[in-house]
Amino acid sequence: MTTNPRRSLANQSNALKSTGPRSVAGKRASSQNSRKHGLNSAPDFESSREFHALVELIAEEGFSGFACADIAAGLLNYRRVMDAYYDTYTSPEPVDEFLRDVNVKASIPIFRELLSPSGSEPQDVKEMAAFFAGMQRQERRKGGPVSRRTTDTHKLIRYQRNGIARLSRAVRHD
Amino acid sequence: MLYNVHFGINVDVAMPVEDKSKSLLPFLSRPKLLPDESEAEFQSGLQSLLSELDNPSPLAVALISQLNESLWWIKRHTVDKELLLHEAMARLLSKAGNHWDTYDNRKVSETLERYLDGRAEKDEVEWIEEILAESKLTLSDLRVRAFKDAARHIKMVDDLIHRQHQTIRHLQRSIDSIDYKSRLIKRMDLELAALESKQSVKGALTLDDKSS
Repeated sequence: MTTNPRRSLANQSNALKSTGPRSVAGKRASSQNSRKHGLNSAPDFESSREFHALVELIAEEGFSGFACADIAAGLLNYRRVMDAYYDTYTSPEPVDEFLRDVNVKASIPIFRELLSPSGSEPQDVKEMAAFFAGMQRQERRKGGPVSRRTTDTHKLIRYQRNGIARLSRAVRHD
Repeated sequence: MLYNVHFGINVDVAMPVEDKSKSLLPFLSRPKLLPDESEAEFQSGLQSLLSELDNPSPLAVALISQLNESLWWIKRHTVDKELLLHEAMARLLSKAGNHWDTYDNRKVSETLERYLDGRAEKDEVEWIEEILAESKLTLSDLRVRAFKDAARHIKMVDDLIHRQHQTIRHLQRSIDSIDYKSRLIKRMDLELAALESKQSVKGALTLDDKSS
Protein backbone atom coordinates (compact mmCIF):
# COMPACT_ATOMS: atom_id res chain seq x y z
CA MET A 1 0.00 0.00 0.00
CA THR A 2 1.33 3.46 -0.92
CA THR A 3 1.72 5.55 2.18
CA ASN A 4 1.81 8.94 0.52
CA PRO A 5 -1.81 9.86 -0.37
CA ARG A 6 -0.67 12.79 -2.47
CA ARG A 7 1.51 10.57 -4.66
CA SER A 8 -1.18 7.92 -4.93
CA LEU A 9 -3.76 10.47 -6.06
CA ALA A 10 -1.28 11.95 -8.54
CA ASN A 11 -0.52 8.45 -9.94
CA GLN A 12 -4.17 7.62 -10.32
CA SER A 13 -4.95 11.01 -11.91
CA ASN A 14 -2.09 10.61 -14.40
CA ALA A 15 -3.19 7.06 -15.23
CA LEU A 16 -6.51 8.50 -16.38
CA LYS A 17 -4.66 10.39 -19.13
CA SER A 18 -3.16 7.17 -20.54
CA THR A 19 -4.28 6.18 -24.04
CA GLY A 20 -3.14 2.57 -23.67
CA PRO A 21 -0.15 0.58 -24.88
CA ARG A 22 1.65 1.61 -28.09
CA SER A 23 4.15 -1.19 -28.73
CA VAL A 24 3.13 -4.49 -30.32
CA ALA A 25 4.26 -6.40 -27.23
CA GLY A 26 2.27 -4.07 -24.97
CA LYS A 27 -0.84 -4.45 -27.12
CA ARG A 28 -0.41 -8.23 -27.13
CA ALA A 29 -0.10 -8.25 -23.35
CA SER A 30 -3.07 -5.95 -22.81
CA SER A 31 -5.22 -8.02 -25.19
CA GLN A 32 -5.16 -10.71 -22.49
CA ASN A 33 -6.24 -8.33 -19.71
CA SER A 34 -9.85 -9.43 -19.80
CA ARG A 35 -8.93 -13.12 -19.80
CA LYS A 36 -10.19 -14.51 -16.50
CA HIS A 37 -10.01 -18.31 -16.43
CA GLY A 38 -9.69 -19.53 -20.04
CA LEU A 39 -12.65 -21.90 -19.73
CA ASN A 40 -14.34 -20.46 -22.81
CA SER A 41 -11.52 -21.56 -25.11
CA ALA A 42 -11.89 -24.95 -26.80
CA PRO A 43 -9.58 -27.51 -25.18
CA ASP A 44 -7.61 -30.03 -27.22
CA PHE A 45 -7.57 -33.09 -24.98
CA GLU A 46 -7.21 -35.65 -27.72
CA SER A 47 -3.64 -34.73 -28.53
CA SER A 48 -2.56 -34.95 -24.88
CA ARG A 49 -0.78 -37.96 -23.41
CA GLU A 50 -3.07 -37.94 -20.38
CA PHE A 51 -6.03 -38.51 -22.66
CA HIS A 52 -4.52 -41.59 -24.33
CA ALA A 53 -3.38 -43.04 -21.01
CA LEU A 54 -6.88 -42.60 -19.56
CA VAL A 55 -8.55 -44.09 -22.65
CA GLU A 56 -6.41 -47.23 -22.38
CA LEU A 57 -7.13 -47.61 -18.68
CA ILE A 58 -10.87 -47.08 -19.08
CA ALA A 59 -11.03 -49.48 -22.04
CA GLU A 60 -10.08 -52.32 -19.71
CA GLU A 61 -13.29 -51.76 -17.78
CA GLY A 62 -15.42 -52.94 -20.67
CA PHE A 63 -16.46 -49.59 -22.12
CA SER A 64 -16.74 -49.14 -25.89
CA GLY A 65 -14.10 -47.13 -27.76
CA PHE A 66 -16.32 -44.06 -28.11
CA ALA A 67 -17.36 -44.19 -24.47
CA CYS A 68 -13.72 -44.42 -23.35
CA ALA A 69 -12.84 -41.28 -25.33
CA ASP A 70 -15.92 -39.47 -23.97
CA ILE A 71 -15.17 -40.41 -20.38
CA ALA A 72 -11.47 -39.46 -20.65
CA ALA A 73 -12.35 -36.08 -22.23
CA GLY A 74 -15.07 -35.54 -19.62
CA LEU A 75 -12.66 -36.28 -16.80
CA LEU A 76 -9.93 -33.99 -18.17
CA ASN A 77 -12.49 -31.25 -18.83
CA TYR A 78 -13.82 -31.52 -15.27
CA ARG A 79 -10.23 -31.29 -13.93
CA ARG A 80 -9.66 -28.20 -16.05
CA VAL A 81 -12.75 -26.54 -14.56
CA MET A 82 -11.79 -27.46 -11.00
CA ASP A 83 -8.23 -26.22 -11.48
CA ALA A 84 -9.60 -22.88 -12.75
CA TYR A 85 -11.99 -22.85 -9.78
CA TYR A 86 -9.08 -23.28 -7.38
CA ASP A 87 -7.00 -20.60 -9.15
CA THR A 88 -9.91 -18.14 -9.07
CA TYR A 89 -10.55 -18.90 -5.41
CA THR A 90 -6.93 -18.42 -4.39
CA SER A 91 -6.21 -15.25 -6.39
CA PRO A 92 -9.12 -12.82 -6.07
CA GLU A 93 -8.84 -9.25 -7.29
CA PRO A 94 -6.76 -7.44 -4.63
CA VAL A 95 -8.40 -4.81 -2.43
CA ASP A 96 -7.26 -1.27 -3.27
CA GLU A 97 -7.03 -0.15 0.35
CA PHE A 98 -5.97 3.37 -0.58
CA LEU A 99 -8.95 3.96 -2.86
CA ARG A 100 -11.31 2.31 -0.35
CA ASP A 101 -10.15 4.40 2.61
CA VAL A 102 -9.20 7.74 1.06
CA ASN A 103 -11.31 10.74 2.08
CA VAL A 104 -12.26 12.16 -1.32
CA LYS A 105 -13.71 15.42 0.03
CA ALA A 106 -10.58 16.11 2.04
CA SER A 107 -8.47 15.44 -1.07
CA ILE A 108 -10.06 18.26 -3.13
CA PRO A 109 -7.18 20.69 -2.40
CA ILE A 110 -4.76 18.05 -3.74
CA PHE A 111 -6.85 17.64 -6.93
CA ARG A 112 -6.84 21.43 -7.30
CA GLU A 113 -3.08 21.53 -6.94
CA LEU A 114 -2.60 18.66 -9.40
CA LEU A 115 -4.85 20.24 -12.01
CA SER A 116 -3.70 23.87 -11.59
CA PRO A 117 -0.68 23.65 -13.99
CA SER A 118 -3.09 22.88 -16.83
CA GLY A 119 -5.15 25.95 -15.95
CA SER A 120 -8.18 23.90 -14.93
CA GLU A 121 -11.50 25.34 -13.93
CA PRO A 122 -13.13 24.54 -10.53
CA GLN A 123 -15.58 22.40 -12.50
CA ASP A 124 -12.73 20.07 -13.54
CA VAL A 125 -11.75 19.61 -9.89
CA LYS A 126 -15.35 18.76 -9.01
CA GLU A 127 -15.54 16.27 -11.86
CA MET A 128 -12.33 14.61 -10.80
CA ALA A 129 -13.55 14.35 -7.19
CA ALA A 130 -16.85 12.88 -8.40
CA PHE A 131 -14.96 10.40 -10.56
CA PHE A 132 -12.84 9.25 -7.60
CA ALA A 133 -15.93 9.03 -5.39
CA GLY A 134 -17.56 6.76 -7.99
CA MET A 135 -14.49 4.54 -8.17
CA GLN A 136 -14.43 4.40 -4.37
CA ARG A 137 -18.09 3.33 -4.25
CA GLN A 138 -17.33 0.53 -6.70
CA GLU A 139 -14.30 -0.56 -4.68
CA ARG A 140 -16.26 -0.61 -1.42
CA ARG A 141 -19.14 -2.53 -3.00
CA LYS A 142 -16.76 -5.35 -3.95
CA GLY A 143 -16.02 -5.90 -0.23
CA GLY A 144 -13.05 -7.64 1.32
CA PRO A 145 -10.96 -10.57 0.03
CA VAL A 146 -13.50 -13.25 1.07
CA SER A 147 -16.38 -11.41 -0.64
CA ARG A 148 -14.27 -11.00 -3.77
CA ARG A 149 -13.25 -14.62 -4.03
CA THR A 150 -16.87 -15.64 -3.42
CA THR A 151 -18.09 -13.41 -6.25
CA ASP A 152 -15.35 -14.64 -8.60
CA THR A 153 -15.85 -18.37 -7.93
CA HIS A 154 -19.61 -17.95 -8.16
CA LYS A 155 -19.13 -17.03 -11.82
CA LEU A 156 -17.68 -20.51 -12.47
CA ILE A 157 -20.74 -22.41 -11.24
CA ARG A 158 -22.12 -22.95 -14.74
CA TYR A 159 -18.81 -24.36 -16.00
CA GLN A 160 -18.76 -26.78 -13.10
CA ARG A 161 -22.36 -27.79 -13.72
CA ASN A 162 -21.68 -28.45 -17.40
CA GLY A 163 -18.39 -30.22 -16.67
CA ILE A 164 -19.84 -32.70 -14.18
CA ALA A 165 -22.94 -33.29 -16.34
CA ARG A 166 -20.72 -34.12 -19.31
CA LEU A 167 -18.62 -36.54 -17.26
CA SER A 168 -21.61 -38.20 -15.63
CA ARG A 169 -23.39 -38.57 -18.99
CA ALA A 170 -20.31 -40.16 -20.54
CA VAL A 171 -19.93 -42.69 -17.70
CA ARG A 172 -23.60 -43.66 -17.51
CA HIS A 173 -24.37 -43.61 -21.21
CA ASP A 174 -22.57 -46.80 -22.20
CA MET B 1 3.66 -49.29 -22.24
CA LEU B 2 4.57 -46.54 -19.79
CA TYR B 3 2.76 -43.18 -19.78
CA ASN B 4 3.89 -40.11 -18.00
CA VAL B 5 0.45 -38.93 -16.97
CA HIS B 6 0.50 -35.28 -15.95
CA PHE B 7 2.74 -34.05 -13.12
CA GLY B 8 5.24 -36.87 -13.70
CA ILE B 9 3.06 -39.80 -12.60
CA ASN B 10 3.83 -43.04 -14.43
CA VAL B 11 1.05 -45.38 -15.42
CA ASP B 12 1.93 -48.75 -16.92
CA VAL B 13 -1.10 -50.11 -18.75
CA ALA B 14 0.13 -53.68 -18.20
CA MET B 15 0.07 -53.40 -14.41
CA PRO B 16 -2.72 -54.94 -12.28
CA VAL B 17 -5.87 -52.88 -11.63
CA GLU B 18 -5.07 -52.16 -7.96
CA ASP B 19 -1.64 -50.81 -8.87
CA LYS B 20 -3.10 -48.69 -11.65
CA SER B 21 -5.60 -47.24 -9.21
CA LYS B 22 -2.74 -46.29 -6.93
CA SER B 23 -0.73 -44.74 -9.76
CA LEU B 24 -3.76 -42.81 -11.02
CA LEU B 25 -4.50 -41.53 -7.57
CA PRO B 26 -1.91 -38.74 -7.50
CA PHE B 27 -2.82 -37.72 -11.07
CA LEU B 28 -6.47 -37.01 -10.34
CA SER B 29 -6.39 -36.35 -6.65
CA ARG B 30 -3.16 -34.45 -6.30
CA PRO B 31 -4.49 -32.05 -3.69
CA LYS B 32 -4.30 -28.35 -4.34
CA LEU B 33 -4.46 -27.27 -0.74
CA LEU B 34 -4.37 -23.86 0.88
CA PRO B 35 -1.32 -23.11 3.07
CA ASP B 36 -3.18 -23.77 6.35
CA GLU B 37 -4.81 -27.02 5.24
CA SER B 38 -3.66 -30.52 6.21
CA GLU B 39 -2.73 -32.90 3.41
CA ALA B 40 -2.92 -35.83 5.85
CA GLU B 41 -6.57 -34.98 6.57
CA PHE B 42 -7.33 -34.74 2.85
CA GLN B 43 -5.70 -38.09 2.13
CA SER B 44 -7.36 -39.83 5.07
CA GLY B 45 -10.78 -38.69 3.75
CA LEU B 46 -9.89 -40.12 0.36
CA GLN B 47 -8.68 -43.41 1.80
CA SER B 48 -11.83 -43.83 3.89
CA LEU B 49 -13.97 -43.29 0.78
CA LEU B 50 -11.86 -45.76 -1.21
CA SER B 51 -12.07 -48.35 1.55
CA GLU B 52 -15.83 -48.52 1.03
CA LEU B 53 -15.37 -50.02 -2.44
CA ASP B 54 -14.26 -53.62 -2.99
CA ASN B 55 -11.43 -53.70 -5.48
CA PRO B 56 -12.12 -50.29 -7.11
CA SER B 57 -11.36 -49.88 -10.79
CA PRO B 58 -9.13 -46.97 -11.95
CA LEU B 59 -12.19 -45.04 -13.15
CA ALA B 60 -13.92 -45.52 -9.81
CA VAL B 61 -10.78 -44.26 -8.06
CA ALA B 62 -10.73 -41.22 -10.34
CA LEU B 63 -14.38 -40.43 -9.58
CA ILE B 64 -13.95 -40.97 -5.84
CA SER B 65 -11.02 -38.52 -5.87
CA GLN B 66 -13.29 -35.90 -7.44
CA LEU B 67 -15.94 -36.66 -4.83
CA ASN B 68 -13.41 -36.19 -2.03
CA GLU B 69 -12.41 -32.85 -3.53
CA SER B 70 -16.04 -31.73 -3.60
CA LEU B 71 -16.40 -32.61 0.09
CA TRP B 72 -13.25 -30.59 0.75
CA TRP B 73 -14.72 -27.59 -1.12
CA ILE B 74 -17.87 -27.80 1.02
CA LYS B 75 -15.66 -27.50 4.11
CA ARG B 76 -13.86 -24.47 2.65
CA HIS B 77 -17.06 -22.71 1.67
CA THR B 78 -18.59 -23.35 5.10
CA VAL B 79 -15.60 -21.62 6.71
CA ASP B 80 -16.04 -18.78 4.19
CA LYS B 81 -19.57 -18.12 5.42
CA GLU B 82 -18.23 -17.32 8.87
CA LEU B 83 -15.38 -15.28 7.40
CA LEU B 84 -17.86 -13.22 5.37
CA LEU B 85 -19.70 -12.40 8.57
CA HIS B 86 -16.45 -11.34 10.24
CA GLU B 87 -15.57 -9.20 7.23
CA ALA B 88 -18.95 -7.44 7.36
CA MET B 89 -18.67 -6.99 11.15
CA ALA B 90 -15.27 -5.32 10.71
CA ARG B 91 -16.64 -3.10 7.95
CA LEU B 92 -19.56 -2.00 10.12
CA LEU B 93 -17.32 -1.41 13.13
CA SER B 94 -14.85 0.68 11.16
CA LYS B 95 -17.73 2.89 10.06
CA ALA B 96 -19.35 2.91 13.51
CA GLY B 97 -20.48 6.33 14.72
CA ASN B 98 -19.32 8.03 11.50
CA HIS B 99 -15.75 7.16 12.31
CA TRP B 100 -14.89 5.98 8.79
CA ASP B 101 -11.81 8.16 8.84
CA THR B 102 -10.91 7.42 12.45
CA TYR B 103 -10.74 3.62 12.40
CA ASP B 104 -8.41 1.82 10.06
CA ASN B 105 -10.45 -0.94 8.38
CA ARG B 106 -7.54 -3.40 8.28
CA LYS B 107 -6.68 -2.82 11.94
CA VAL B 108 -10.30 -3.25 13.01
CA SER B 109 -10.58 -6.40 10.90
CA GLU B 110 -7.44 -8.03 12.32
CA THR B 111 -8.25 -7.08 15.91
CA LEU B 112 -11.86 -8.23 15.61
CA GLU B 113 -10.68 -11.58 14.21
CA ARG B 114 -8.48 -12.09 17.28
CA TYR B 115 -11.28 -10.86 19.57
CA LEU B 116 -13.76 -13.38 18.14
CA ASP B 117 -11.22 -16.21 18.37
CA GLY B 118 -10.47 -15.28 21.99
CA ARG B 119 -6.81 -14.54 21.15
CA ALA B 120 -6.97 -10.75 21.64
CA GLU B 121 -4.74 -8.92 24.11
CA LYS B 122 -6.35 -7.00 26.97
CA ASP B 123 -5.94 -3.60 25.27
CA GLU B 124 -7.37 -4.98 22.01
CA VAL B 125 -10.44 -6.32 23.85
CA GLU B 126 -10.91 -2.91 25.46
CA TRP B 127 -10.55 -1.16 22.10
CA ILE B 128 -13.18 -3.34 20.39
CA GLU B 129 -15.54 -2.97 23.33
CA GLU B 130 -15.01 0.78 23.27
CA ILE B 131 -15.98 0.97 19.58
CA LEU B 132 -19.00 -1.26 20.23
CA ALA B 133 -20.09 1.00 23.10
CA GLU B 134 -19.52 4.10 20.97
CA SER B 135 -21.72 2.71 18.23
CA LYS B 136 -24.30 1.55 20.83
CA LEU B 137 -24.12 -2.06 19.67
CA THR B 138 -23.68 -5.42 21.36
CA LEU B 139 -21.71 -8.16 19.66
CA SER B 140 -24.91 -10.02 18.75
CA ASP B 141 -26.46 -6.80 17.32
CA LEU B 142 -23.36 -6.35 15.25
CA ARG B 143 -23.58 -9.94 14.06
CA VAL B 144 -27.21 -9.50 13.00
CA ARG B 145 -26.40 -6.31 11.12
CA ALA B 146 -23.40 -7.96 9.51
CA PHE B 147 -25.58 -10.86 8.39
CA LYS B 148 -27.91 -8.41 6.63
CA ASP B 149 -24.96 -6.57 5.16
CA ALA B 150 -23.29 -9.73 3.84
CA ALA B 151 -26.53 -11.47 2.80
CA ARG B 152 -25.75 -11.25 -0.93
CA HIS B 153 -22.36 -12.91 -0.54
CA ILE B 154 -23.64 -15.49 1.95
CA LYS B 155 -26.30 -16.45 -0.60
CA MET B 156 -23.49 -16.89 -3.16
CA VAL B 157 -21.59 -19.21 -0.81
CA ASP B 158 -24.79 -21.20 -0.30
CA ASP B 159 -25.03 -21.55 -4.08
CA LEU B 160 -21.43 -22.77 -4.22
CA ILE B 161 -22.12 -25.36 -1.50
CA HIS B 162 -25.29 -26.45 -3.26
CA ARG B 163 -23.32 -26.88 -6.48
CA GLN B 164 -20.86 -29.18 -4.70
CA HIS B 165 -23.77 -31.26 -3.38
CA GLN B 166 -25.11 -31.61 -6.91
CA THR B 167 -21.64 -32.60 -8.12
CA ILE B 168 -21.42 -35.27 -5.42
CA ARG B 169 -24.80 -36.64 -6.48
CA HIS B 170 -23.63 -36.89 -10.11
CA LEU B 171 -20.42 -38.62 -9.03
CA GLN B 172 -22.27 -41.07 -6.78
CA ARG B 173 -24.56 -42.07 -9.66
CA SER B 174 -21.56 -42.52 -11.94
CA ILE B 175 -19.76 -44.70 -9.37
CA ASP B 176 -22.94 -46.76 -8.87
CA SER B 177 -23.24 -47.26 -12.59
CA ILE B 178 -19.62 -48.46 -12.88
CA ASP B 179 -20.12 -50.75 -9.91
CA TYR B 180 -23.33 -52.15 -11.40
CA LYS B 181 -21.65 -52.57 -14.78
CA SER B 182 -18.71 -54.49 -13.30
CA ARG B 183 -21.05 -56.71 -11.28
CA LEU B 184 -23.14 -57.35 -14.38
CA ILE B 185 -20.04 -58.28 -16.36
CA LYS B 186 -18.92 -60.64 -13.58
CA ARG B 187 -22.37 -62.23 -13.45
CA MET B 188 -22.46 -62.68 -17.21
CA ASP B 189 -18.97 -64.20 -17.11
CA LEU B 190 -20.13 -66.67 -14.46
CA GLU B 191 -23.27 -67.54 -16.42
CA LEU B 192 -21.22 -67.99 -19.57
CA ALA B 193 -18.76 -70.20 -17.72
CA ALA B 194 -21.65 -72.25 -16.35
CA LEU B 195 -23.18 -72.59 -19.82
CA GLU B 196 -19.82 -73.61 -21.27
CA SER B 197 -19.27 -76.22 -18.58
CA LYS B 198 -22.81 -77.54 -19.13
CA GLN B 199 -22.13 -77.64 -22.82
CA SER B 200 -18.88 -79.51 -22.36
CA VAL B 201 -20.58 -82.03 -20.01
CA LYS B 202 -23.38 -82.46 -22.55
CA GLY B 203 -20.82 -82.89 -25.33
CA ALA B 204 -18.95 -85.47 -23.28
CA LEU B 205 -22.18 -87.34 -22.57
CA THR B 206 -23.11 -87.35 -26.28
CA LEU B 207 -19.68 -88.68 -27.16
CA ASP B 208 -20.07 -91.39 -24.50
CA ASP B 209 -23.48 -92.35 -25.95
CA LYS B 210 -22.03 -92.60 -29.45
CA SER B 211 -19.09 -94.66 -28.34
CA SER B 212 -21.29 -97.03 -26.35
